[in-house]
Amino acid sequence: MADKNFYLLENRTRKRRPVSNKNKIILNTRVRLARNLADCKFASISSSQEKNILLKEIKEYVGNIKEFKDFRFYSIKSMGKIQRDLLLKDYMVSHKIANKMQGKGLFVRSGTDWGESSVIIVNHEDHLRIQSARPDLNILEAYHEVLKIEKYFEKKLSFAFDRNLGYLTASPVNLGTALRVSVTAHLPVLAVSPGIADFVKKLNQVGCLINGYFVGHSEIIGNLFKISNQVTLGKGEEGIVEEMQAICLNIIDDEEIARRKLRESDLLGIKDNIYRSFGLLKYAKILSYEESLELLSIIRLGLDLDIISGINDFDFFELISRINDSHIVSDLEISGRVTDDQLDSIRADLIRKKILKEAD
Amino acid sequence: MNCDFCHISEATVHLIKIQDTNVERINICKECAKDLSFLSEEDFYNDVARILYRFFNIGTDRHRYSRDKKILRDISYGRNRKCSFCGIDLKTIKKIGKVGCSNCYNEFKDILFPIIKSIHGGLENKGKIPVNTSRKIKLEKNIRDLRNKLKNEVIIENFEEAAKIRDKIKKLEKNIYGR
Repeated sequence: MADKNFYLLENRTRKRRPVSNKNKIILNTRVRLARNLADCKFASISSSQEKNILLKEIKEYVGNIKEFKDFRFYSIKSMGKIQRDLLLKDYMVSHKIANKMQGKGLFVRSGTDWGESSVIIVNHEDHLRIQSARPDLNILEAYHEVLKIEKYFEKKLSFAFDRNLGYLTASPVNLGTALRVSVTAHLPVLAVSPGIADFVKKLNQVGCLINGYFVGHSEIIGNLFKISNQVTLGKGEEGIVEEMQAICLNIIDDEEIARRKLRESDLLGIKDNIYRSFGLLKYAKILSYEESLELLSIIRLGLDLDIISGINDFDFFELISRINDSHIVSDLEISGRVTDDQLDSIRADLIRKKILKEAD
Repeated sequence: MNCDFCHISEATVHLIKIQDTNVERINICKECAKDLSFLSEEDFYNDVARILYRFFNIGTDRHRYSRDKKILRDISYGRNRKCSFCGIDLKTIKKIGKVGCSNCYNEFKDILFPIIKSIHGGLENKGKIPVNTSRKIKLEKNIRDLRNKLKNEVIIENFEEAAKIRDKIKKLEKNIYGR
C-alpha cells in the first residue's frame, strides 16, 4: 500500500459533470443513514469480539453483491496514521472512528468527480452507517444513493425498528429516519456581516444546526460552516430532504444579497482586503493551514466578485483538502520527521503553483 | 444560593428568561449541569451554556418545567438501573450519550422518552419502514400517511379527493381490525 493514491479507483472514465466553481456557496453535500441490527448490542457498547464477528459478516455479504464490487474495504485498525487521516478527511468520515478502532471498517467507493463518494461505515456507534457525498448542492441525488445501498442490506438483515421511534440508533438524536443531511457552506461575507447572528438564529429556528466546519475549533476557519438537520424523528425522509434543499437555497440567497450589499457599500474596502490576501499568498514563504484557508477564502470571493484576475479558477473545497498536512506528507512521500515549518513552506509553494497563472 | 435541582451544592450557573411579563430564573450547580449533558452529542451539546439554554427552553411553562426537574432527579437517583438485555446502566448511558441496544429504549422509557421528545419535538415516526416489518405496522403507517393527506386536502377544500381518501382509510382499517 505504498502507492500514494492507494484508495483512488483507476477507472474514472465517466464524463465529468459541469460544475462551475464560480459563486459556489454550498461546497458539498453529505447524506447519512444509520442502521442497527435487531436483537444485537449496539456498536456503542459491543465488545471487540462482537464487532469483529459482525464486520466479518458484513464483509462477506458486501463481497457477494455484484453492485458492491467497486467498494474497497479498509480496516481502520490496520491502517497507518497518515493514511487513515487521509481516508477519513477525503471521505468526510468522523474522526471519532479512530478511537477504539478494533472491529471497525469502511467500505468506500469514489465517484467519477472529486468529492463524490459513497461510504459504508461498520461498527462506528451504529452497526451500519451509509453515507454519500456530492461536490455541490445535490441532496436528492445523495439521498437516492444511500437509499439504494440500504436496500441491499435491508434484503438480508433485519433492522432494529420501533413503530413510534422509527429506526433505532445508539444515540437518541438520530432516531426516526436516522437521516442526517449536512452541507458545507462558504459564507465569506455573511460571516463578517452584522447579520450573522440573525442568520444563525433563523437556522436554529428552522431546526438546523450550524457549526464551524472544522471540529474542535471554537473559531470559524476559512468562513466555512457545516449546516445539518437537527430533527430526524417526526418527519419523513422526503420532507427532510426537501426542507434542507430549500434551506440551502435560502442560505445561498442570503450570502448573495450580503455580497451585493457589500459591493455597493464598500467596494474599495473589499478590494483592499482581497489584494492584501493575494499579496500574502503570493509572497509568504510559510503558511499555516488555518492562515491558508482564510486567505484562499478571500481570494475565492475575489474571483466570485470579478475583482481579481491573474488567478486560476479553483475549487475551494478541493484545494483546501489538498493542502492539509496529511495530504502534503503523503503526496510527497516524505520519509522521516517533518517540522511544522517545513510543512508550512511546502504548503505555501503548493498553493502558489495551483492558483497563480504565471508561476515564477 | 443553592442549586435548584439538587438543593445541596452552590449554584454557579444562573440563567434568567424573560417572556412577556414572566421572569423565570434557573440556578444550577456544576454537577447538575453535568447531568444535563445527558443530551450530549457531538460538539453541539458540549457547550454547557447551550445545554442549559436548551433545557431551559424545553420548560417554557410551569408544568413542563417541573416535569423536567423530575427527569433530572430520576436520572441522578436511578443511576444503577440496568437494561435487562445488554446490561448497560443509566449512568453509562448518560456518560456516553448513547444507549446499548434496542431494548434500552423500552427499559428506560420513562427517562428517555421525554428527552427524545425534547430533541425531536415528538414521538411519532413518519419516515419509511423496513421492508420486512409486519403487515400490521405497514398498514398502520399507510393509514397515518393517508390521514395526513386527508388533512391537507381538507385545508385546500378539495373535498372530492378527501372523500376518496377517507374511504381508503376505512377500507384499510377494516383490513387491520376486522371491523
